[in-house]
Amino acid sequence: MAAVRAPRIPVEERLFSLVLALLATDAGLTKTEILSTVQGYRQKYVSGGDNAALERQFERDKDDIRELGVPLETVDDPSAAGDNHLLRYRILRGDYELPLDISFSPEETALLTLAGMVWREGTLSAESRRALLKLRSLGGTASVPELDYAPRVRSRDAAFEPLRTALDRGVVVRFDYLKPGEDAPRRREVAPFALVQHMGRWMVSVVEPDTSSRKNFLLSRIVGPVTVTSRSFPRPADATADSALEGLDRLWEQNTATVRAVPGSDARTRLGKRRGTVVGDDDVLVVHYSDRQVLAEELTAFGPEVVVLAPAELRALVADRLRDLASDHAATSTSASASGIGGDAS
Amino acid sequence: MTDRRPSLHATDKLAFLLSLVPWLIDHERVSVAEAAAHFGVGVADIRRAVELIAVSGIPGDTAQYQHADLFDIAWDDFEQNDVIVLTNLVAIDDTPRFSAREAAALIAGLQYLSSLPENADRGAVASLMSKLSRGASGEPSQVAVAQDETSEVLALVREAVERGVQLEFDYAGVRGLVERRRVDPLRVESLDADWYLRGWDHLREALRTFRLDRIASPALTDVRITHRASDLSLPDGFFEGSPDDLDVVVEIDAAAAPLLDDYRPVDVEDAGDGRARLTLRVGHVGTVARLVSGLPGRARVVAPDEARQAVADWAAGAAARYDD
Repeated sequence: MAAVRAPRIPVEERLFSLVLALLATDAGLTKTEILSTVQGYRQKYVSGGDNAALERQFERDKDDIRELGVPLETVDDPSAAGDNHLLRYRILRGDYELPLDISFSPEETALLTLAGMVWREGTLSAESRRALLKLRSLGGTASVPELDYAPRVRSRDAAFEPLRTALDRGVVVRFDYLKPGEDAPRRREVAPFALVQHMGRWMVSVVEPDTSSRKNFLLSRIVGPVTVTSRSFPRPADATADSALEGLDRLWEQNTATVRAVPGSDARTRLGKRRGTVVGDDDVLVVHYSDRQVLAEELTAFGPEVVVLAPAELRALVADRLRDLASDHAATSTSASASGIGGDAS
Repeated sequence: MTDRRPSLHATDKLAFLLSLVPWLIDHERVSVAEAAAHFGVGVADIRRAVELIAVSGIPGDTAQYQHADLFDIAWDDFEQNDVIVLTNLVAIDDTPRFSAREAAALIAGLQYLSSLPENADRGAVASLMSKLSRGASGEPSQVAVAQDETSEVLALVREAVERGVQLEFDYAGVRGLVERRRVDPLRVESLDADWYLRGWDHLREALRTFRLDRIASPALTDVRITHRASDLSLPDGFFEGSPDDLDVVVEIDAAAAPLLDDYRPVDVEDAGDGRARLTLRVGHVGTVARLVSGLPGRARVVAPDEARQAVADWAAGAAARYDD
């Protein structure tokens, strides 16, 4: 039992002191040296006693510091490789500091500031904020753009963060997926290699570990939680976010549907501006898509402004959705639910 | 997982300390207010950080944190003049690298912005991305946002702003009526793949939001703008309320309810059977059908009756076009 109550050191002071101490050492410090001398640890260190709680604290702090991109490394003692007590910890200045030749012009700073503001939610937004702090640290100021922009990308799908974690760790995940057009979700076990937003929808690109085939899943169709496993699956070198986007672009090129839009309607204007759309006579449009079910939802929302001509499967999907919508909103279904019976269609 | 929350906050503070020190080194004498403005934080945050830096350092040869092993500041200047001068430096010289995830966040943000007309020079954006990769402590994670072609409308908006003239275009309102609108462009906003122009609408004499992909036949006018973004307070969010707004009660699979956050549901309640009931505010009864038909989770309007009937009629009319 410690005789004197240790003063409370704020967490950030302990972390800051640890970074300073490890930057200042070339040879590295052993865990015992760190715990017994570094501010925030030394106050709780019991010489010759049980420091298990403090050691766990140090393990968590190391993770937190590495999260920030600080290259905290361990060095084996050459005379006693593998002996944990002789492991030394240090931060090499050259790996820690931004290379000197990296600087950003006022225009670049402005653009990066805007790029950081894009993220509204989740860890991407916190990480952007931290990156912008480092950018400010370099001293550059941002040029003021002529036009006020407020660009935003959402990443609100609950699956986003666990998938990103799995991506960084290179491990397999499990989730239930309700494939568009199917009635019941199916369990998937896949290795994610990229998270991409294509035409406004987030998808995770994966490798199936057993077949090595590559697939894309819509985040909005992942049902329930994503389980991050510890089974590692290294990302194949050619499995990149860029290659995933290229694949989706190819699908977009290949798949077309023919629709007729009411002249002058909103559907006519918006579908006409969709990427790749070809406008024919009589306001017949050939539109591109990457997923038929998703396109069916989009076309349904245009209601009477658009009629699907081909392919037949898409035509049937849209017609069915509209009929369901009509019957769900027929006068009888409202009175049923209003009286609390809750006759729920599914 | 829950015990990580407070330390997450502490890591943000650590990132701030590691960023602030090199900047203070470069600016030998700087006021607290200047530092706060540069980093976009409060003066109290700067003062707290400087006070912490001033007593921090390394254990040193004696392992006792001797005076020479600590940062120091000119305390009189700090306390009396609110000016920061570092008088002793320890361990840190330069800005830290970006983490792999931080670099990835900015790179994906840049990809998203690369379709803006300002960034037509793709080479400049690409070189910026490679600089971020080089400045990261690890390989940036594979997160990407497709570069979509934004319409030529955006380039015209920008030109209108540069010249300070009004922009005119055809726009179909919610009632389906196409009108020629004249607008002072104020701000371009986006949400994922959807881009919007907010501006002062001279036809309606009010602030309005226009979807870029609904704008047809845009053209510059030679009429000067009368409203600037700096003169007006633009409410955050896309949907300006109006006295004519209508409250609509929608029932939806509970799992899909969070997807409606952007419509700012007034009220969310459990409707049993895995369904949730939300009250949404919409501008016009005609928009309800379009809204619910595009929603996942089998959305159904339950009240008011006029809105439910409108959806029924709309859907029945659209479905009839498929009757062979």
